[in-house]
Formats: sequence, structure tokens, C-alpha cells
Amino acid sequence: MRNLLSATVIAAALSLAGPAFAQAPAGYPADYGKIVEAAKKEGKLVIYSTTDAVSANPLVKDFEALYPGIKVEYSDLNSTELYNRFIAEAASNNGTADLLWSSAMDLQVKLVNDGQGLAYPSPEIKALPKWAVWKDSAYGTTYEPTAIVYNKRLVPEADVPKDHTALLKLLEAKPDVYKGKVTAYDPERSGVGFLFCNEDIKNFPAAWDLFKAMGKTGAKFYTSAGAMMERVASGEHTIAYGIFGSYALARSRKDPNVGIVLPSDYTMVTSRVAFISKHAKSPNAAKLFLDYMLSKRGQEVVAKADLYTLRDDIEGEATLKAVTKVIGDRARPVPIDQTLLETLDQTKRLAFLSKWQKAKKGE
Amino acid sequence: MADLIVKDLKLRLGDNEILKGVSVSVTPGQVVALLGPSGSGKTTLLRAVAGLEVPFAGSISIGDNVFFDAARKIDLAAEKRGLGLVFQSYALWPHRTVFDNVGYGLKLRNRPAAEIKERVEKTLGQIGLGHLAERFPHQLSGGQQQRVAIARALVYEPPVILLDEPLSNLDAKLREEARAWLRTLIVTLGLSAIHVTHDQVEAMAIADKIVLLNAGTIAQEGPPTALYNDPQSLFTAEFMGSNNRLDGTLVDVSGGKATMEVFGEKITGLARTTAAKGSKVVGISRLERVHCSSTPGPNRLKMELKAPMYLGERWELVFTREHLTVRAYANAPLQPGEHYVEFPQDALWVF
Amino acid sequence: MPIVVYRFLVLGITTLAVAMPLSLVFYQSFLTAPFFDPSAKASFAAYSFVFSDDDFWQAFWTTIAIASGMAAIAVPLGALLAFLMVRTDVPGKKYLEPLLLIPIFVSAVVIAFGYVVAIGPVGIFSTLAKEVLGFVPWNLYSLWSLIIIAGLTHVPHVYLYSAAALRGLSTDLEEAARVSGANPFQVAINVSLPMIMPAILFAGVLVFFLGFELFGLPLVLGDPQDVLVLATYLYKLTNKLGVPSYQLMAVVVVVIIGVTAPLVFMQRLLLRQAQRYISVRGKGQKTQPLRLRSWRWFAFGVIVLWLVVTVVVPLFGITLRSFVVTWGEGVKLRDVLTLDHYRELMDYPNVIRGIINTFGIGVIGGALAVACYTAIALAVHRWNSGWTRLVDYIVMVPRAMPGLIAGLALLWVFLFVPFLSPLKSTMGSIWLAYTIVWLAYGMRLVSGTLLQVGPELEEAGRVSGASDLQVKRDITIPLIKYGMLASWLLIFLIFVREYSTGIYLLGPGTEVIGSLLVSLWGTGAVDLVSALSVVNVVMIGAGLAVAIRLGVRLHG
Repeated sequence: MRNLLSATVIAAALSLAGPAFAQAPAGYPADYGKIVEAAKKEGKLVIYSTTDAVSANPLVKDFEALYPGIKVEYSDLNSTELYNRFIAEAASNNGTADLLWSSAMDLQVKLVNDGQGLAYPSPEIKALPKWAVWKDSAYGTTYEPTAIVYNKRLVPEADVPKDHTALLKLLEAKPDVYKGKVTAYDPERSGVGFLFCNEDIKNFPAAWDLFKAMGKTGAKFYTSAGAMMERVASGEHTIAYGIFGSYALARSRKDPNVGIVLPSDYTMVTSRVAFISKHAKSPNAAKLFLDYMLSKRGQEVVAKADLYTLRDDIEGEATLKAVTKVIGDRARPVPIDQTLLETLDQTKRLAFLSKWQKAKKGE
Repeated sequence: MADLIVKDLKLRLGDNEILKGVSVSVTPGQVVALLGPSGSGKTTLLRAVAGLEVPFAGSISIGDNVFFDAARKIDLAAEKRGLGLVFQSYALWPHRTVFDNVGYGLKLRNRPAAEIKERVEKTLGQIGLGHLAERFPHQLSGGQQQRVAIARALVYEPPVILLDEPLSNLDAKLREEARAWLRTLIVTLGLSAIHVTHDQVEAMAIADKIVLLNAGTIAQEGPPTALYNDPQSLFTAEFMGSNNRLDGTLVDVSGGKATMEVFGEKITGLARTTAAKGSKVVGISRLERVHCSSTPGPNRLKMELKAPMYLGERWELVFTREHLTVRAYANAPLQPGEHYVEFPQDALWVF
Repeated sequence: MPIVVYRFLVLGITTLAVAMPLSLVFYQSFLTAPFFDPSAKASFAAYSFVFSDDDFWQAFWTTIAIASGMAAIAVPLGALLAFLMVRTDVPGKKYLEPLLLIPIFVSAVVIAFGYVVAIGPVGIFSTLAKEVLGFVPWNLYSLWSLIIIAGLTHVPHVYLYSAAALRGLSTDLEEAARVSGANPFQVAINVSLPMIMPAILFAGVLVFFLGFELFGLPLVLGDPQDVLVLATYLYKLTNKLGVPSYQLMAVVVVVIIGVTAPLVFMQRLLLRQAQRYISVRGKGQKTQPLRLRSWRWFAFGVIVLWLVVTVVVPLFGITLRSFVVTWGEGVKLRDVLTLDHYRELMDYPNVIRGIINTFGIGVIGGALAVACYTAIALAVHRWNSGWTRLVDYIVMVPRAMPGLIAGLALLWVFLFVPFLSPLKSTMGSIWLAYTIVWLAYGMRLVSGTLLQVGPELEEAGRVSGASDLQVKRDITIPLIKYGMLASWLLIFLIFVREYSTGIYLLGPGTEVIGSLLVSLWGTGAVDLVSALSVVNVVMIGAGLAVAIRLGVRLHG
């Protein structure tokens, strides 16, 4: 309600500001109006995204309200499909997305690195954390803590793992109770899982011990968050390790049995990365959307959709502020830069995977 | 073995009452032909005996072995009746060799392999196909397939063998040979059989007794000669043989004779009617009993010869007068023109 | 237009439609990068990578095991089911028949998820069993369960082909066996089923095929168990290298086609074998079904049991899930009932569009597809030429590609074939993809109908002075009208269910329920998935209801 109210206030303010778009918003370059005019001429904006249309809908609606005359075509795809479709369409020169917005940070960085991105310094850069902007092309748009999700009915309070070490100890202490009850993303089959494991190895010295412990207790590894949370909610599994905070929060709102822990030793934070396509037919509309999404108004909608804002000037549950309140300075955002490309290195990947397979067998 | 007795069988397919109370008996060694036009229910009756159709009234039994009894709610499954059935289409299993087709019934009766071999070979020998045992049905001629179908029905020595128009799929010449062969086989083996056919010549040639069906009821039954020479109804008279039909008015009935008036002339024949004088009657006379003469006389009609047709062993003559057409046979062709056609008294039935 | 022109025109278009995506896949498999990437070079590297990958071989052998297991289960059950339904007096046939087909028409993802809710480790029936027995007597997540479920859900495929063949079989043959002393079971084993063996084997090969492209079931049921099949191996492959690699995926598809192509050849041989089985038909009297007598209710029980396991249990699961907030161990269902998931559906324009599009692709797209299939079938019909063999092969080929890959290959076609590019991102692209992917199925339906038209009816038309094409228009098509209507219904059901083909073609305006389900499943919106599944099942149910109504007329 509060967000709706503020949106209305802003809209009212804008309309009071006289002829629409004639003036740039505060802090924006003086010639921003030109972009707006050009975008209006383009009239259409195509977005490929991994964020489901359902969650993104408020964002799209608000954007369309802010810039009437620009129609947004929003497609949600999984990250592999998004990547495949984009490169094929880009090569065919037959029209593709203007803006790509994906949670597969590594693939997004690769696309920008391969020269598929359009460099555009957003006027909102100042308000963003440093790690969230790369080459003025790739922008982090969210701040999603990676949570441990558990079933409140079936996991006694004492067992709830508050940090990574606690989870490791729990699995070592009660292997029988938690046999087959823990679940996580499968790094062998899921890009997200691979990214998570990699970050764990960087941040948690006993990461391999944790993986081994999971292997020994017969943890189940999935390729989708939906499958994991559904099964944690039902009790088929009781603890899911490494779930996007946004999914967990949305689910816990509907189902009071779903508990969420942000590990207190460190909490990995990922961000949905957006960039403007070099092949964009509507580059100006894409710029507007990017700026809007990073603006305070846009980020408030992001927070409201449980996608976690990365601006520090927004209040609410799914916000950087709220996450900081819980875990203080132990948030570990995955920086958007070349280091992500290392995870795509084939040799390193295969080496990791063979080590992982052993760990999975408990070796 | 006891008689096969079918009592007052009634059967419905959908809303159609196909059999309206039919009783038939077959004594051991007897061949009964079920004869009738299409739709008369003869095949349905056969299938009911085989257990492939379910009547709603009546009974079927052989001695103490009750196959079906609507009143007692007995309905023995087809496979438990132990009858042999030869289909019109032969229904040879195309995926089995001749030997396997014939031997299947024995195999189902759990006979030892050696016995099966011996009996199948014997049966195939009887039908003259001993050398074709390893062939598949599609490698045989129509006549051979028909014999295999018969062998298959005979091999387990059923008390009665049921034949559903077994000769109708053969061409004319072959059919006559097969008819003679089948009769000989039945007589030689002393079989009891029910033979369904719409061909009266075939029925008369093969059967000891003919049951003539008309629209689900029995029109007449008896030995072939009785049906042919002494029809009790117009239907029987017309169905058997090739006939001439005279429409006229009844003028007198006395002493088993009936006199009718046709074109003002009096024609007398055997009385088969109880109609009153003055009513319309029909006279039926077999083609081969009608003579032709050059002079008028009793029971003769003046008619005009239209077209003589050469049939090989004799001539067929077609006479007309107004709407009446009469056919007759002659050993030599006659000149076209006026002739007198005689209907002998003992060969004309008045209905 | 002379018939020859028509024939080669149709042949040409069909070949093009199938060959374009296929040749792209082949070409791609011999490159080092996506075919449109300037840096792509010709190489066998993709083959050597895949063939030296242990996971590939594991997936390959698992797929073989699943496909064979499926066939081993589905073929005997399907054939027996067909015998019972077509030839005997099993009670309630009229009502059973449409139910039997449900597993074909319900998306495998829906069925699989329904099983998880119903008989998963903490499923409704599992918890019940645990309370009563003290343990759960089944394990949903084993390879065996996957094989059994896959086998049971593919019974209807065998049933369809066997039933069609049985209907064309003269009943005399069975009655002859009956009179010779065989009971109904012996009739089935010794006469009916051997007689339609080519059709059964044909269906068996088809099931084996389908086993090779099995995707939905292993995606959901194989996920926790890490049961890898070739279709899910494609996913893993992407992740191995970090970036999706077209060439490796292409290699896997080539392997799949390499396995399935000989099967197509086998099917042709089977059809030739069928010549032997042509039999003299008796007169066309309506024949009585074989009476099962005391076995009647036993047979009925077996069919119902199969229905319960393959249809009722999973559909009950998914329906229940759509009405509850949560479920599982320790949850009292009474406390968690809700209608919110359905209300939520209405909030999302893409879901609404998806429902409308799905209906449209089923009704309009289905009709157009049947028109195409009929055009092809008519071109081949009574054409005494080696070209018909080519058509037989061509129509089978798309079946060999997993729907997901076929969708991707078609995306390439839409992108790089100039005159097709306007179709991209329209329902036209989805329609073309569906029509090509289901070519074999649709052709089989239509040509089955065509076979029932006696040649003399067409010959009489020719003699009366009609040209070949006029005969087709004035005699053949009117005669197969009802068959086409039936095909339309079946294609409607298939199109409404389809989920994997549309994934790469999914976009604003081209949403279809099947693809939305997969996409929503990935984002964790299980509430929506279950509600949308129920909507999908209801649409299919409505289609089946129409089928029953018309079916009566079709058979009558």
C-alpha cells in the first residue's frame, strides 16, 4: 500500500512538472529528455528475462504508467533458453531483445564480455554499490541473499542451522535423522548450483567438508528452486541449502511452515544482471527501463515484489537494509566482473565437477 | 451319440427379431441343410448353435448335454460345445501353417504332440491335402483353403459339424466339384452336419433333410424331394427350382384339384389353397414341366414365342402374352410365333 | 492441376519442412561453435567430447533401459487392453474408452508432479500407507518406478494402434478359434494378437521411440534421484561447459536419430510382413463381441486398476495440490484448503493469454494440422511409387527429435530463413513446430482412415470420368470426413498437452499452457503450476467429452 501511495505521489509530481518528459528527473543529465523523446518514438521495448512475468508484472506496469506510449513485451525464459535464443537472434539480425535481465550472472557477463552489450552509464550509478556495475554495461539490479530454508513443522528449533558450520555439524551429528532430508541445487546440472558451490569454496574454508557431509547423508540435488521448496514444504526434505531469498520469502508468505535462515557467518548475495543489447531496436526505451529499474521508484517496486532491492535508501522486508540488519557486514555479494568468467572456464569446471562427484559419494 | 435338438429358438439382434421360434433336429449321420434367402436367419441359427449368438428363448442340446436353455439360464461357452464350424470366409488363421490351423483344436484339447501329428495328417490325407501341411493359407487356392477349413472343423471329431455357406466363395465350376466332394466326404465319414446355404441345388444335393427358413420361421422342412415335389406354401414352391408363375382367378376346387381362369381359359392344377371361389390365386409350375405344343388343348394357353436361347444341352424358350411371361425348355428351337403352352395338371400348384 | 504436380508439390513441401530443421542439426553437430558464429569451424570435436563423456554413456544406457522397459510393459498391456475393449463384452466400454486415452493427452510433467504429491515419500497415499502398515511399500524415486510409470502411461499408445488393427480384423478368425475350443484368453494369445502383431510391434517401436525422448517424467521424477536420460543429459551438458553449446546438443540429437532411424526401417519391414495377414473378410454383418462370462468383471477390474494407478492417482494428486497451501508430513489438509491459486491465475495476463492460445492452437491449429496431414496422406494415397517410401521415412523423422530440440531447431529456421521470419514470435511459429513434431502421429491417424476407403469406390469415380484430384475431392474426402473429425479431436488433445516443443518459441503472444508450466516450475511457482495443470486437464477433459459424444456416432 505504501509503495502504491509513493508511486502515485511521484506520478502526481511528474504530471505537475508540466509537459511530460520535457525536463529530466532530478540528478539526471539535462538532455535526458532527448532519450525519452527517442524512446517514445521507438514505442516498444522487448525484454528477455529469467524473472517470471508474475513477479515482474508490477515493474512493467509501473514503467508503462510512467512512460505512456512505450509498450513492454516481456518474455520469461530459463537462463539457458534466454542465452540460446539471444545469441541465435542476435546473429540472425532478425530482431531480438532490447534488454536482457537474467539471474545467470556468469552468462550475462560473458555476453557483455563478448561484445553483445551496449555501454550506457546510467545516471543512477551513484546510488548503486560498486560491485554491481561492470563496464558501464552490466548492472546488478537486485540484492538477493542466499538462504537456508527449512520446514518449521519437522525441524526442531535447536536443529535449525544458523550458519554454514552449524549445518555441517548438524549433518555430522545426526546423519540418521537427516538422511535424505537435505536438498540443494545440483552443481552438475544447474548453473546456479555451480555458482553457489564456487562462492562457498571462496568464502567457507570447510566447504568441501560440507559437500561431503551432504553426500554422506544422501542429500538430494535438484535443478529448480520450485522442486526443492515444494518438497521442503511437504516434508519430503526438511532443509534446503542455498535458495534464492526472493523465492523463499514469497513462499514463506503463503506457507507459514517455511522458515528462512540467512547464515550468520556469511550470506552469499546474488543479483539479477541487466544489460542493453547491442542489437537493440529500441535502445532508448531500454535505457529508460534500465534507469527506471535502478531508480528509487523502480527499486521500491522491486522490493515490493520480494526481489530484494540493492539500493540502501529503501525500507521494507526485501531490501538491502533488511538483509544488513540481520547479517550485518557478513553479506558477500558476488561481484559482477571478469571473475565470473572463470567459472565458465571449461577445464576448471570439469575439474570441479569430478571433485564434486567424489564428494557426493562421501569421499 | 444323441440327436442335436434345437427347440423354439428366438433371437434378437438389436431391435430385429431374427429368429422367431425355430426348432430343428439333427439325428446322427444326418445332414441338414438350412436353406433360405438372405435375412431369413439361417446363418444366425447356425451361429446360435455354435454359441456365437445368444438367443433369448428356446434351447439347444445334444442328448443330456444342454448347450443352451433360456429358461434354465444355461449358456455353454462356444469353446465348451465341442462343435466344428466352417466359416463362409474359411477364417483360416493367416499366421499359422495349414498343419497348425488344423492341429489347433487338438492342441487346445491337450492331446500329445504325436497324436496331433497323426490325426492332422490323417485328416489332411482324407481331404487330399497331405502334401500342403507346411504351407500358409495365403499360399493355397480358394478350393484348397476351403478344404483346410473343413479339415480344421473335423479333426477333433465333433458330434456335429456346422458349415456356413462353405462353397459360396468358390467359382461356379469349382463349386459343383466341391459339392460332390463334400457330399462324398460326409457320407464316407458318416458325419452329422448342419449346412447353411442359399443355393437350393446345393442344399438338395448335399442334405438328407432341408429346413427352409423364411423371415425367422420355418417355411417347410423335409427331405429334398418333398420340398421340391410337394411344396406346401407359395414361398416354398417359388423358392425351390425355377418356376413359372400364373396369376388368375379361382373358379373351382374339388377332389384336391383347383381350377383357375387365366386369359379366359381354364387351367387346372393341384389345390394348395383354401381361398374362396372368385379370389385371386397363383399357379406355380416348374420350368422343366412346361411343354409346348402347336395345337390347343386342356390346360394350354396360347402364347407368343419371343426369344429362343441356346443353353448348350437344351434350349430355353420365352413366351409372352400381355404381362405374362412363361419360360420352358425344349430340345430344339421352335419358330417364333404363336404356340400353345401346356401346364400339366400334376405339375401345377395353385396357391 | 495434374495429380503428379500435386504429389510432388506436397512431397517437396513436406520434405522441406522436415529437412530444414534436421539438416541444421546435422550441420551443427560438425562445427565447433553455433553455426551462425563466424568463428565456427568444421570438426569432429563435439563428437569426441560427447563420446568420451561418462555421463553420456550413463544417460545412453539408462535411456535404452527405460525405453526397453517401457516397451516391455506397455506392449503386452496395451495389446491385451485393446483385445478386451474391441473384442469382448467388458462392461462399461463406452465410458472406459475415453478414460483410457487420458495418459496420452495429459502432459507428462503434470502426471509426474501429481505422482509426487500422491505417492511421493510424504505423499498423501504414502502417509496413509505409513499409518496403516508402518512403512511405505513403494519408492517413487527409483529407476524402476520411473520405468513402470513410463510403461503404464504409454499403454494407451499401444492400445490405440492395436485397437485400430483389431477393428480391421475379421471376427471370423476369432470365432473359429472359439468354436475349436479356445477360451477368450487363448483366443487373444493364439489368434487375435498374433494376427495384429505388425501393428503391435509397430506400436512397440513407437513406444521405444518415445522412451528416447522422454523428458517430463525424468525431469520431475528423475531429478532427485539423478536418473539421467538423453533428454535431461542435454541440460547437464549445457552446465558442464558453463555455456550452452549447440554443437554438443546437436551431437546428442544425431545419436538419438542414429538409434531411431533403424527403428523406422524396422517398422517398414513390419508393415510388409503385414501383407501375409490380409484375410478374406466375411460378409459385413455386425458381429457379437466375444463373451467373457465369468471373466467379465475380472477384466473390468484389471482395467480399472490400471486406470486408477495411471490416471486417478496422479490427477488426484495435482488437483489436491491446487487447492491447498501446503501438504505433506504432519499437515492436516482440512486446515490448508484454499482457492487462492486459481484467483492468482487470473491476475496474470500471460497465463490468461496462455490459456486462450492453448485453446486456439488446439482448435484452429489442430484443424489446420489435420488439413495438412490429409493433404500429404492424399498425395501418397494409391500412389504406386518408390516415393511413398520416402514419405514414410520423412514423416517419422521429426519424432526422433526431442520436442525441446525440435523447437530450438525450428527457432533457427524462423530466424535464418528470410520468408519465414515474419512468423517468428507469432502463434504461426508454434503451430508449424507442433505440426511438424506430430507429423508421424497425425499421418498415421489420417492414413488409417484412408485405408478404410475401398479402392473400388475411387475406381468407380475414375471410370465415371473424374480426374484423380476430383476423385479425391468428391469421393475420398467426403468418405473420410468422420475420420478427419476424429483426427482433429485427437490432434486437439495432443496440441493442448504439448509442452516441450514450444519452450524456445515462447514469448509474449505465444504463451501456451504446456510451456508456461515448465517455465513456472523452474521459478518455483508450484501453486500456479498445479492450478494451471488442473485448467489444462479440464480442457483436455472437455475435449474428451466431445470425443465421447461424437465417438458414439463415429463408431455407429
